[in-house]
Amino acid sequence: MMGSRATVVAAQLAIILLTLAVWQWAFDLKPYADWLVPGLLDPYFISKPSEIWTQLLRLACLTNPTGDWLLGQDGAVMACLAQNDNNLWIATLVTLTNTLWGFAIGVASGYIVGLLLGQSTFLSRVFEPFLVALNSIPRIALVPIVVMMFGIGDTSKIVTAWLLVFFLVFFNTFEGARQVDQTLVSMSRLLQAKDWQVTSKIIIPSTLTWVFASLTPAISFALIGVIVGEFIGARQGLGRIMMEAQARGQSSVMMATVIVLMTIGVILALGVKSMQTYLLRWQNTGH
Amino acid sequence: MTFAQRDLAVAPASVPANTGPVRIRARGLSKEFEIAGKRLTAVDRVDLDIRKGEFVSLLGPSGCGKSTVLNMIAGLIPASSGTIELDGKPLGAGHFSSKLGYVFQRDTTIPWRTVKKNVGFGLELAGVDRASRDRRVNEAIQQARLNGFENAFPGMLSGGMRQRVSLMRALVMEPDILLMDEPFGALDAHTKTDMHRLLLEIWERQHQTVIFVTHDLAEALTLSDRIILLSARPGRLKEEFVVDFKRPRDAVSLRETPEYAELFSRVWRSLGEEMSKVGA
Repeated sequence: MMGSRATVVAAQLAIILLTLAVWQWAFDLKPYADWLVPGLLDPYFISKPSEIWTQLLRLACLTNPTGDWLLGQDGAVMACLAQNDNNLWIATLVTLTNTLWGFAIGVASGYIVGLLLGQSTFLSRVFEPFLVALNSIPRIALVPIVVMMFGIGDTSKIVTAWLLVFFLVFFNTFEGARQVDQTLVSMSRLLQAKDWQVTSKIIIPSTLTWVFASLTPAISFALIGVIVGEFIGARQGLGRIMMEAQARGQSSVMMATVIVLMTIGVILALGVKSMQTYLLRWQNTGH
Repeated sequence: MTFAQRDLAVAPASVPANTGPVRIRARGLSKEFEIAGKRLTAVDRVDLDIRKGEFVSLLGPSGCGKSTVLNMIAGLIPASSGTIELDGKPLGAGHFSSKLGYVFQRDTTIPWRTVKKNVGFGLELAGVDRASRDRRVNEAIQQARLNGFENAFPGMLSGGMRQRVSLMRALVMEPDILLMDEPFGALDAHTKTDMHRLLLEIWERQHQTVIFVTHDLAEALTLSDRIILLSARPGRLKEEFVVDFKRPRDAVSLRETPEYAELFSRVWRSLGEEMSKVGA
């Protein structure tokens, strides 16, 4: 089936509406058809779209706990926000900032180390077994140690994100540096290129293409790292909101937080994707 | 008989033999490789004298070591024994003379650089200032009829256009000596002829010293002053042919002349003996 763009969008909308409808109402059918409705659809676990939406507005201080809008009222939103130093806005900002820091530091350090080791046979032979060993540790297992070392503030979250991003970018760069087209290197040398020129004009640009390819997974990894860090121990952040909500059995709060995280994830991925498309525009051959 | 044929037939089909100074001299040039523990002689005691302004083709069957000879001259690979001199001074591997320009068979355009920045790559490396770089690059682009594609990336171009970019990237450096390793080997027949025209046009104006490696006899005859035929592996000098067709040459009409046909069959026989040795 080919399907025009309109049919595809229509099908997607249908899927979304159906999911929301099942989520919202399916459990109400349980008394009538017990065999049809799995227990996991219990709103105790997964809440309901309507409740999640209400919860989202309340967490964002757009409405009060009884559902009245605070937006029109003078200073009401501010007063609500001031009550909680980990309100949804602050938590989002904290999680986002730590994610971006972890991403940036991870990409930069992974790239530099990858380039150095990829270019030097000696260094790569010395360090390769260590890096392979380190890489085979499930990094998430290190989070409790990281939180113990760096405390429950931002640093431990950035370090966790860095741990995940570094290895991803490092291995990509390392592979890229080893796969540089040697004919381009010879060509440059025949044109009298000095070593630093070969590095800056051939090796770095050609490894960058490998790094760009790893940026989309890297940003997701950074977000995962920060959230897990916040689960283990944090004062602020979306992960902290989730842990508190879990302790209180507030599934609507957890779901609302997941919605926010999904939105952040999508925005970050799209941002990286468009940067990548621009930087790799020469790969769009038009063939 | 076409006009071009008559024109060629009337004129004495000879060019005075090049008696200019020898620019590249190779003596006893040999190359041995070790492959899977076996020693293999790729090039066996080759002597060459390439004179100033001469267009010389190294012709031979695939695997005869002709590219190896060229790469030893370029300094890309070390010789196992023998000497190479450029203007009387020894050339060694790993040392790349600025007098040499090199064109690869493989596409060596830099994919993330536009046509303009590819052509200007060598000038940029040499630190030539932007204004004169732009001027020289633009001239080269005009000459290679790449205008309109200055800001295109190689991925958008055809194989022939990419090879023109590589050729101009070498030529814009104004090398005295141009080493070409089957530069048009990967192109279709029509594009190849276009490239021959472009190269003849440039060479007949500037008379660089050219060493041109090819296994395509028609190409060697069209372009060269002299063809050096190498034997099947191990590559040894087999025979030399002077190609004294009148210049300027036209890549297409030249091939319709009787002189061309006569020389073609002479070289062909000699080349054929080597081809049969490799079972090609």
